[in-house]
Amino acid sequence: MLKVLVPTLMLFPTIWLSSPKWLWPTATAQSLLIAFISLAWLKWASETGWSTSNMYLATDPLSTPLLVLTCWLLPLMILASQNHIYSEPVSRQRLYITHLTSLQTFLIMAFGATEVIMFYIMFEATLIPTLIIITRWGNQTERLNAGTYFLFYTLAGSLPLLVALLLLQQTTGTLSMLILQYSQPLTLDTWGHSIWWAGCLIAFLVKMPLYGVHLWLPKAHVEAPVAGSMVLAAVLLKLGGYGMMRMMIMLDPLSKELAYPFIILALWGILMTGSICLRQTDLKSLIAYSSVSHMGLVAGGILIQTPWGFTGAIILMIAHGLVSSALFCLANTAYERTHSRTMLLARGLQMVFPLTAVWWFTTNLANLALPPLPNLMGEIMIITTLFSWSPWTIALTGLGTLITAAYSLYLFLMTQRGPAPNHIKGLSPFHTREHLLMVLHLIPVILLVAKPELVWGWCH
Amino acid sequence: MASRLSRIWPVVSRVRWSSALGTRCVSQTPKSSAAGAAVVSDLQPVSPALQDSHGHTEVNPFETNPDFHGFHHHDSFVDEWNMRLAFFFGISVAIVIGGTFIHYLPDHGMRQWARREAERLIKQREAEGLPLMTENYYEPGKIILPSSGDE
Repeated sequence: MLKVLVPTLMLFPTIWLSSPKWLWPTATAQSLLIAFISLAWLKWASETGWSTSNMYLATDPLSTPLLVLTCWLLPLMILASQNHIYSEPVSRQRLYITHLTSLQTFLIMAFGATEVIMFYIMFEATLIPTLIIITRWGNQTERLNAGTYFLFYTLAGSLPLLVALLLLQQTTGTLSMLILQYSQPLTLDTWGHSIWWAGCLIAFLVKMPLYGVHLWLPKAHVEAPVAGSMVLAAVLLKLGGYGMMRMMIMLDPLSKELAYPFIILALWGILMTGSICLRQTDLKSLIAYSSVSHMGLVAGGILIQTPWGFTGAIILMIAHGLVSSALFCLANTAYERTHSRTMLLARGLQMVFPLTAVWWFTTNLANLALPPLPNLMGEIMIITTLFSWSPWTIALTGLGTLITAAYSLYLFLMTQRGPAPNHIKGLSPFHTREHLLMVLHLIPVILLVAKPELVWGWCH
Repeated sequence: MASRLSRIWPVVSRVRWSSALGTRCVSQTPKSSAAGAAVVSDLQPVSPALQDSHGHTEVNPFETNPDFHGFHHHDSFVDEWNMRLAFFFGISVAIVIGGTFIHYLPDHGMRQWARREAERLIKQREAEGLPLMTENYYEPGKIILPSSGDE
């Protein structure tokens, strides 16, 4: 754990002490090295469930894929931001990369935490750099509203979580996940216990987001600069899923009935947000709503609490993280050229940017869950486990899959196909950097086809 | 840059892009002198809407540096080395060496061992005529139940 955390902390001196010319190359190189070192976490010693480094930080097969995803994403964020930040003064460029790195640090500590309170503190701590990135570097005036929605939705959910965790500490005497996994099942029979159950989960449901409390997400994703959108879509949403999976262990007998409305809300959300995607004119907004849709499926899989549900949720979280981040990068390339997110202004791109059309095509295929990519594997597992819970869910999830395919195809056809309008023909060519960025997103997704057991979690 | 963009955006969005972007402008400020040699960039005048408050227009970086990789706009040396570092650490180190490392990791979670062990045990028990698995997980004799009469 320290062999990744210390180099990440050492990124701060690198950022602030580099000469302005070499700031971005050194930050990129160091963060890629950190990502390379983080791959060592993927070795799972199964004699113990947790590969511990000390009493407070440990990794297990649930947190490891998310940790590797977090570490992989920082260099990608740096690559993606390099173009739109270059015209700012150097100290602001350093500050921007500092925010990204501090997000990385908090996320590593959040996913590696063994004490639930440390996870909570890191969960809250990630809000601050993200809020600053959205409100300071966002491009439209709506960014202030977006930041407010983002901050207060998450805070409103997580304050009950704090109370619930303190109550749990009082009852069981510990909040260490290492110990709680072996504790006796709690007697949870009063109304107070039901409210405690809800308090434990609502923060994560807001973060995922669940359909009814998802309004912060389209705003935050759209108004954030590209690195903010990437980290939000790829990792911060997964904090919610991860938190739910950890908390579910202790909430057991109540969840059988109490999870019911949330599962239905999640499934309905897949359909609703998928349908909204088909009506979007804003490119980033479409990708944001598609994130809500996929996360609805993940939320359903986690709330079901079966081994297949958990495994499918982890697979889908990792695959969606990479693919959604890739889509935001592609949207950003269109935005940097046309200075607009309107899909009508960035159409017919295939004629002018054929290689990029390959990336658009592959990413959209991954988004609509094409086999053998892990997106499909996760979705299939969740759909199967939902079906075995109740056969009626197949209507919702099947329709959801159909709508997902429809809006992914819509996105591809709108941006790539058709005649290229005149203003597109004058756009500047794609940079090597942008192609590298897409390749670094897509290659891990494709490689996961070869060794999916890395992301199966500890249930399977 | 964001504040500049937000200030000029309402004007920019109404500009006819087809005529404005037809030019590849290299110069940062528009030439105001009509006399003298006509420069390529003067053939179609840059509309004031396309300029920001400093009079700078959007510059195509491929004009000054045809090998522009997208990393550093003004220094081609840093641009090239940034590209090399990104590709080396990203592809050669992280994906190739990292991928090889992951490929040669031992049996993840002992899943393949578990399958081999199960097949071996099945073969062994079938050969000995034993049942594949005992029906009861716990020994029934050892379970002590409270008597049904009380309470």
